[in-house]
Amino acid sequence: MSSGVAVNPACMEKFQELKLGKKLKYIVYKLNDTNTEIVVDKTSESANYDDFVADLPEAQCRWAVYDFEFEKEGAGKRNKLLFFAWSPDDSKIKQKMVFASSKDALRRSLNVALEIQGTDFSEVAYESVFEKASKGA
Amino acid sequence: MNYGGDEVQALVLDIGTDTTRAGYAGDDAPKAVFSTSYGFTVHPPAEGETGDDKSMPTKLYIGENGPSIWRPRMEVSNPFTNGLISDFAPIPAIVSHALIHSLRTNPAEHPVLVTEPAWNTPANRERMAEILFEEFQVPAFYIANTGVLNAFAAGKGTALVVDIGRNTASVLPVVDGFVLRKGVTQSALPMLLHANAHHMLTKPTPTRLGIDLLPHQLVSQKQPVDVNAPPNYVPRQDRVSYTTDSWKLWAEAREVDEWVSGVAGVLEQGWSEQHALTKHPRPYEFPTGYHTVFGPERFLPGEIYFNHAHLAASNPTLPKTLPTLVQTALANCEPDLRTPLLSNIVLTGGGSLLQGTAERLNNELIRSFGPKVKLHAGGNIIERRFGAWIGGSILASLGTFHQLWISAEEWQEHGRAIVGQRCK
Repeated sequence: MSSGVAVNPACMEKFQELKLGKKLKYIVYKLNDTNTEIVVDKTSESANYDDFVADLPEAQCRWAVYDFEFEKEGAGKRNKLLFFAWSPDDSKIKQKMVFASSKDALRRSLNVALEIQGTDFSEVAYESVFEKASKGA
Repeated sequence: MNYGGDEVQALVLDIGTDTTRAGYAGDDAPKAVFSTSYGFTVHPPAEGETGDDKSMPTKLYIGENGPSIWRPRMEVSNPFTNGLISDFAPIPAIVSHALIHSLRTNPAEHPVLVTEPAWNTPANRERMAEILFEEFQVPAFYIANTGVLNAFAAGKGTALVVDIGRNTASVLPVVDGFVLRKGVTQSALPMLLHANAHHMLTKPTPTRLGIDLLPHQLVSQKQPVDVNAPPNYVPRQDRVSYTTDSWKLWAEAREVDEWVSGVAGVLEQGWSEQHALTKHPRPYEFPTGYHTVFGPERFLPGEIYFNHAHLAASNPTLPKTLPTLVQTALANCEPDLRTPLLSNIVLTGGGSLLQGTAERLNNELIRSFGPKVKLHAGGNIIERRFGAWIGGSILASLGTFHQLWISAEEWQEHGRAIVGQRCK
């Protein structure tokens, strides 16, 4: 079941830039004001994970793609693309519903394997994300 | 096709075992909420009247002037068995009551989104589509799964939905917006709770009398009495011999439901007499005028959600408890799904409003599965009671949703098969 919301072409363009350009660190996506299209909210080159978490609003839903870099013991540096579905408990039920029913459209067009579903900041904290990302890396 | 846009408001219809909920897409709560149980009287044809039709004419009584109004020889029935519609005969009348009588709309002018339980059968959903298209001429139709609607309304594409309804408790693993059918588990737990409460109330205890659950419709007058004193009332003798067994059962069940929602609860940390004694007792008055104060016993029926140990004989055929349902559902899912499901548990349904249920379930699950358990219980009562309706209301109000509706033209062209193809 899906909402039928469309994905703005810029979402894909920015994603390709992040994947191939190796400059962008993360992209934050949101719904436009009329709930008809998924658009780019913000892109950033900041390598500081805290900056990314600060870009997730306390009571608003977002999606994000993050180029997660981590040290694998004895195997050097690894990179993994993460898809974030950010749906804080304090956001309005309407937004939660529209975001949840629209997520598939974005995730399928970006095709990122690993998803982090977050409803509070503990679920997107560096440690918990690191644990998920390093599994099977 | 341009359904679901701003000009044409869609309607949302959520028919459950206990209540039917109907309203406009985009609203925060359903405008019409009425009992799905309905009354009926059978009228034998008058003498001298002949006809080929052997069936006797039946009159249905639905909604606020339905079963709750006493009528001579009126029977009460309910179209649901185990959360599924098992008798479609009264469904058109229920739909008509919801959309035409209560909402005062012309269904031929509005797309209608209907909800269905996760274990609905293809034949059932197609029958529902047929009723709306053929008997109500709706321009467009969609049927949405309550498990997915509840998960989405909590902002989750992946969730373990624990839905406690009037007769059925179910646990539904939802993964990326789809119900994992092999993981769906359910039991008649709420019915057992109800039966237990009924039994407990009618039996005397050392501190109170056995309670006569006579409904107010059968009480003509009552005198105020002291607490715990035998009631002093005059029953409606004129009505007794015209009261059917099915109506009496329905009316007594309502008295028990009222008591459960007003007085009963469940202890957050598991049953202990000492702990129950520290909780405030609650006074309650029954329609006969009998009134008493319920102490620890008000926490007994709710225990049934979590264990059967206090029931006289342990019986393996008893409906599965909530923790067992969760365990079974998880065991039927791939191991790597268990952690994401456990950390996204969504508690919903009117039965979950029993005081203390969310806290107790959280405690029990943490004890069994560890700290990764995270329970989400919708903040307010409206969201918990009407979660699926609200989810459907938001979805159907989106302009972009018009691509998903099954239009009347498509129904004409493709027939029943389109329902399964479109509504996944």
